[in-house]
Amino acid sequence: MDMLTQWVGWLPNLAPGVLVSLQLTGFSLLFGFPLGLLFAVMAEAKFLPLQWISFLFVEVGRGLPALVLLYLLYFSLPDAGITLTSLTTAIIALSWNAGAYASEYFRAGLAAVPLGQKEAAITSGLRGWTGFRIVILPQALRISTPPLAGLAVLMFQGSSLAFVIAVPELMSKAFQIASITFEYISVYTLTAVIYGSITLVFLGFVRVLERRLGRHLERR
Amino acid sequence: MVFSFGTRTPPTALTGEVVVSGLGKSYGASRVLSDVNLTMNEGEVVSIIGPSGAGKSTFLRCLNYLETPTEGTIEIGGARVVAGGKRPDKASLDHLRRVTGMVFQSFNLFPHLTVMENITLPQRKVLGASKEEAQEVANKLLKRVGLPDKAEQYPARLSGGQQQRIAIARALALSPKVMLFDEPTSALDPEIGLEVLAVMRDLADEGMTMIVVTHEMHFARDVSDRIMVMGNGGVLEIGPSEQVMSQPQNERTRQFLKAVLDR
Ligand SMILES: Nc1ncnc2c1ncn2[C@@H]1O[C@H](COP(=O)(O)OP(=O)(O)OP(=O)(O)O)[C@@H](O)[C@H]1O
Ligand SMILES: [Mg+2]
Repeated sequence: MDMLTQWVGWLPNLAPGVLVSLQLTGFSLLFGFPLGLLFAVMAEAKFLPLQWISFLFVEVGRGLPALVLLYLLYFSLPDAGITLTSLTTAIIALSWNAGAYASEYFRAGLAAVPLGQKEAAITSGLRGWTGFRIVILPQALRISTPPLAGLAVLMFQGSSLAFVIAVPELMSKAFQIASITFEYISVYTLTAVIYGSITLVFLGFVRVLERRLGRHLERR
Repeated sequence: MVFSFGTRTPPTALTGEVVVSGLGKSYGASRVLSDVNLTMNEGEVVSIIGPSGAGKSTFLRCLNYLETPTEGTIEIGGARVVAGGKRPDKASLDHLRRVTGMVFQSFNLFPHLTVMENITLPQRKVLGASKEEAQEVANKLLKRVGLPDKAEQYPARLSGGQQQRIAIARALALSPKVMLFDEPTSALDPEIGLEVLAVMRDLADEGMTMIVVTHEMHFARDVSDRIMVMGNGGVLEIGPSEQVMSQPQNERTRQFLKAVLDR
């Protein structure tokens, strides 16, 4: 049987796994990015306890391998009386992981906005949250976009780790097929093609987005 | 009177008068400004000159609390702030910044916003102006600074001189009582600087109260009513422009003027 026919036969089994992987990634970013921005802002807070909380969350999120974080939450949450589905547990672990890394990118973006912008905002009466939202944040986000897009790709690929706590995502579906058919190379090649093509399409969108975000800086 | 951003209290009770007394500023143990006094009438233009490191920028930036002065009193256009002690409350700072407009050496336009948005957003957020009102004001100001056709451009597409004129328009849009300029032409080629100086000259002619830190001796002499010479964190002398330029009283002023005029 040639490989393509094999692949077509497997796709119906893999497709739900792709959806779960996308869901897991999507939710991790949906929660992780705002969390990261929050940690980044808290890291600059004048009120010190906020800085400590931010530091703690970020260092744990970055310091632990995602795999360890997954296992820890998966086994400790039920002990604490919290029962969640494995997908929800994975979303929490990966959101934490994404948030920790994203906060560093947001911090770098915020720090790269020239001080003169803040001063011009203040002297234009745009102080506090208004000035942050209208003047500082949009400029920081543009700077943070490329590394955040890279992080999104890593999170998509990292979502395959959720396989270890039995989340029915793409990798676990592939593993099932492989363990029944023993066609390891063929199955994992298809899996690689799926991960790779989704990543490439996503990066294409990001490129368009980056161009749009940077349009105002082009001189012509 | 309580005065804050966001309310639309007409600033009728305000005047363009400036009274700064005993202003001082230290960074830890290093004292960069001491006992600076300046009183100005409405419509008056004062240029501040002096060698690098004299404290000119620090003084100007203390006036709207971009730097926090450590002693002295600032009264501008009805706003009054006493330095030292605890930091003034938000309402006083808002008031102080509401009556002052600032123009920076590096323009500091908001690069992600169009010229129109640069000028209208502060009006809408600070004055609560409607979009139409804000745009009407912006169009008038754009005409006034000679750039009526640049409304929809992004700052990066404009020359430095054009950006600085837009920055002046942005500051004027909030109808400040006093305009503060910190070396507005220093980042520009001399010819380009002239177009900015022309706008400032018009502004002075129209009666705007202005404090201008500058290295443009022609502007200082011809446009300003008085020149304040700073050195070493203090005022070396202050007097009518013509007099300071031609018969400086202070020895260090003489040295400074000789150095710049011989260049
Ligand atoms: N954050 C700071 N910490 C310590 N010293 C400072 C700080 N900012 C400024 N200074 C010092 O204050 C003094 C006055 O600086 P300022 O920028 O006001 O001078 P200036 O007259 O505007 O000079 P220039 O013509 O170069 O712009 C300088 O000696 C400077 O080193
Ligand atoms: Mg200076």
